[in-house]
Amino acid sequence: MGILLPVSGVVPLAFALALAVCASAGASARTIDVVIEHFAFMPAQIEVMPGDAIVFTNRDITPHTATATDGSWTTKDIASGKSEAIVIPAKGDGAYFCKYHPVMKGRLTIKPP
Amino acid sequence: MKSRITFALAVVGLTAMIASPPYAADPLSDVEIAHAAYTADDLDIAYAKIALEKSKTSAIREFAELMVKDHTAANQAALALVKKLGVTPKDNAFSQALVKNGEAKKAELRGLSGAAFDKAYAQNELAYHQVVVKTVAEQWIPTIQNAEFKKFMTDANEIFRVHQAHAQHMVDGLK
Repeated sequence: MGILLPVSGVVPLAFALALAVCASAGASARTIDVVIEHFAFMPAQIEVMPGDAIVFTNRDITPHTATATDGSWTTKDIASGKSEAIVIPAKGDGAYFCKYHPVMKGRLTIKPP
Repeated sequence: MKSRITFALAVVGLTAMIASPPYAADPLSDVEIAHAAYTADDLDIAYAKIALEKSKTSAIREFAELMVKDHTAANQAALALVKKLGVTPKDNAFSQALVKNGEAKKAELRGLSGAAFDKAYAQNELAYHQVVVKTVAEQWIPTIQNAEFKKFMTDANEIFRVHQAHAQHMVDGLK
């Protein structure tokens, strides 16, 4: 399961990400931004490696989540204007969605390190 | 204005929902639209709370919970915007008709139970969102003067479109 980082605001987000990424994957891990806007994840498909962090930022009015279809990880509710981050697990299908608005779908292609 | 709104309602067979309201001849102003949009959100939250009291069907309850969550968020964002813009939403005939007919619909829903309630709630949600989406897109957004408010209502209508699709799925699932 990915490490869920309940964060909001730039400073605590950066701090939490730094701790999590260093702890889980070393210095080569990347931080990737995914914007939620117009009821879509953008970009909808990204290539990642285990240990990379994804920061989901919600620009819609309503709360959303990013939740793995296989149930292996989820963010908390992401309120409008807020961000939540996960760290990519070693394994997983990569498909994810918003549990409130299942029409919203994204996919992570998880490549080996 | 009256004829345009009546047409929007007639599209989904809801003409009786707002019977002969005393609409003004001119389009609603920004502050009147803000009031009507907030009222419409509030009304759908009220319907959802009735559903959460009466229904044991998971699909109905999940939809109702989503309506409470999303429409509450929309109204909070609307309040934040009107505060930022320094304006006060203005009550109007459209809002009053929504309230009046909403009370009748709530009474109707409260009088139902079981499968009959589920069907009535689901169909009302579909029809309600169809009317709202059409009204916002065709009547309100084109006439809104403030650019920030126009963007807000455009974004809000995305929510309502998603709800409409979800409601259609809910109705189909009950057949």
